[in-house]
Amino acid sequence: MIWAGAAFLFGLIAALQLAYWPMNANLEWITFGRLRPLHTNAAIFAFAGNAIFAGIYHSSQRLLKTRMFSDVLSKMHFWGWQLIILAAAITLPLGYTQSKEYAELEWPIDIAITVVWVIFAVNFFGTIRQRREKHMYVAIWFYIATIITVAVLHIVNSIEIPVGMLQSYPVYAGIQDALVQWWYGHNAVAFFLTTPFLGLMYYYVPKAANRPVYSYRLSIVHFWSLVFIYIWAGPHHLLYTSLPEWAQTLGMIFSVMLWAPSWGGMINGLLTLKGSWHLLRTEPLIKFFVAALTFYGMSTFEGPLLSIKSVSALGHYTDWIVGHVHAGALGWNGFLSFGMIYYLVPRLWKTELYSKKLLENHFWISLTGVLLYYISMVVAGITQGLMWRAVTPEGQLVYPDFIETVVRIVPLYWVRALGGALFIIGFFMMAYNIYKTIKKAPKAVEQTSYEVQRTGFDEQTQDTHRKLEGMGFTFSVLAFLAIIVGSIIEIYPTLSLHRYVNPANIVEPHTPLEIAGRDIYIREGCYVCHSQQIRPIASEVLRYGKASTVEESMYDRPFQWGSKRTGPDLARLGKKYPNLWHYSHMIDPRAVTPKSIMPSYPWLVEKNTDFLVLRKKLSVMSKLGVPYDSEVVANADIHAQKQAQEIAADLESNGAPKGLAKKEIVALIAYLQSLGQKGKAQ
Amino acid sequence: MKQEGLKFFTDTYLTSLGLLIFFLFFVGVLIWVYRKNSSKIYHRMEQLPLTDGDSL
Repeated sequence: MIWAGAAFLFGLIAALQLAYWPMNANLEWITFGRLRPLHTNAAIFAFAGNAIFAGIYHSSQRLLKTRMFSDVLSKMHFWGWQLIILAAAITLPLGYTQSKEYAELEWPIDIAITVVWVIFAVNFFGTIRQRREKHMYVAIWFYIATIITVAVLHIVNSIEIPVGMLQSYPVYAGIQDALVQWWYGHNAVAFFLTTPFLGLMYYYVPKAANRPVYSYRLSIVHFWSLVFIYIWAGPHHLLYTSLPEWAQTLGMIFSVMLWAPSWGGMINGLLTLKGSWHLLRTEPLIKFFVAALTFYGMSTFEGPLLSIKSVSALGHYTDWIVGHVHAGALGWNGFLSFGMIYYLVPRLWKTELYSKKLLENHFWISLTGVLLYYISMVVAGITQGLMWRAVTPEGQLVYPDFIETVVRIVPLYWVRALGGALFIIGFFMMAYNIYKTIKKAPKAVEQTSYEVQRTGFDEQTQDTHRKLEGMGFTFSVLAFLAIIVGSIIEIYPTLSLHRYVNPANIVEPHTPLEIAGRDIYIREGCYVCHSQQIRPIASEVLRYGKASTVEESMYDRPFQWGSKRTGPDLARLGKKYPNLWHYSHMIDPRAVTPKSIMPSYPWLVEKNTDFLVLRKKLSVMSKLGVPYDSEVVANADIHAQKQAQEIAADLESNGAPKGLAKKEIVALIAYLQSLGQKGKAQ
Repeated sequence: MKQEGLKFFTDTYLTSLGLLIFFLFFVGVLIWVYRKNSSKIYHRMEQLPLTDGDSL
């Protein structure tokens, strides 16, 4: 719950920063670009993660009628995970990031995550092995799918080569990296925020309502179709990009197919409460479950809708997506976790909840908060999308200045911040309620042990699926196969990148100084607000220039296509403005774009570029297949310094201060000026 | 071999066949799951969380 509070607060600060830029406070550690990954990681892995683990540990022991396999492993899992969160909370504000959404953590932490996850898996599967109930209830299947798939996703997406203690380059480049990343990114939603929570739902909703799930049959169909289909849906994040067309279409079709199993789950959950609606009065915590399921249904309706190409053309890069994820995260994951906490704490501490009235208030205040948040963001997103694409009958953009579309939605950012604040107020009510509940619990609780019979092992059955459920290992393998088929078919062909590259359009790799600048760009989280992918849509080509191609990012490790446009796209930024423009833009964005909401980056003029590490960086790049001359790799720092001198001299002759050559701002300018300028045939 | 395999992505007969196979498989699973005589089994399964031994 502490992490939840942290995640929500970071979110609120980030929301306020967008509404009111001075909230960035000119502090590098809390600018939006660095705070936003901290917020998403805290929400997904710290808050949702710990809620999942608590629920899994509690419900599995009861469903499998045995104690967890090993208390030592449970403890290692708990403390290991908290340490990882702590490591994330330290490294992300310091700017150590891979810039891959929801996979920002650097390689030592990635390894730690793998180790802790394996500990969790051993503990969980050990428990399944020693279970006293032969039949595995549907919740257990969801947990199994979660553990297996998250392991596969994390390992495949995190294959990278270190260049320092806290920096690495992925082995994938350009479209490969984008595809692997969104295969991971979308399935982080699927197997971290959906399947485990569905498992929890299948346990806690029947428990709270004291009646069985509406249709067990539906849950079987629901489980298998969800596990099989979800894994394919990732490429819908990359519609209209330079990802090959077939992969985009696959992603879209499978996303639309997801409608069925998702709604199967929602209907199953809601109908479980059929005939129990009176409980809403006596057991108000059920309200949280009802709201959670409704939000699940709404977000899973909206998700496939947004993945349809023509809808995506309007919604992608806008705040609509931000609204969509928050309806899922706050409404579905948040409310389900709150319901679970309200259910669990009184029972674990053997007492009654301190105040049902407070719970009611928490519910209504938070619900208002989520609705304000969601509605404001959908309105902002659609407004933005429509303004970006508005073209006059003469074929001119109606709003050629990007800032016009930003200024228009700033009031909605305030509404969003208000919604977030209400959600947090509700959360603090819960924290207080839970604190008081635990406080009034009897201090000395008698340890009771339960005699549990082994059940189901000697039954004779002819039913195949039932036998399958009785075989933990075989079941897990089948679940693994279900997710791996889609993954391989999608990712494998893209790994042979050269097939998609037109030899006539081959580009030059970045110079050493540009690489240094690119790493600064990544560190500051510029990709959080700026995309580098011009879609082949008339209005975008008018606004930014020629649509992006596969070749342009073929040496980019990691890819930097971005997924949100708070500011304009940068794919064709190079040579558009003089160096001095970029300098002023970083020091005081409002000097060049009045009303800009971008933070200032004064430390870029103070910090020195690390030139020496460039040799190492380039040698890793060249090992990965970027065609650098061996002389350039060996003298990377000298090349970089030479280019830096030229840019600094140009800046100075136009009125900037002297002696900037060593400063980070120069490296960043070099990178920005190279964007869209590398093509030989352009 | 790999290149040959990749060519199938443009073969519409093969992809349609794949679609048909998956669809029929899905329908088969549906029919099988919703068989009438399996009610007893599912009834016991769905009771699992409610009969997990204690009130916690």
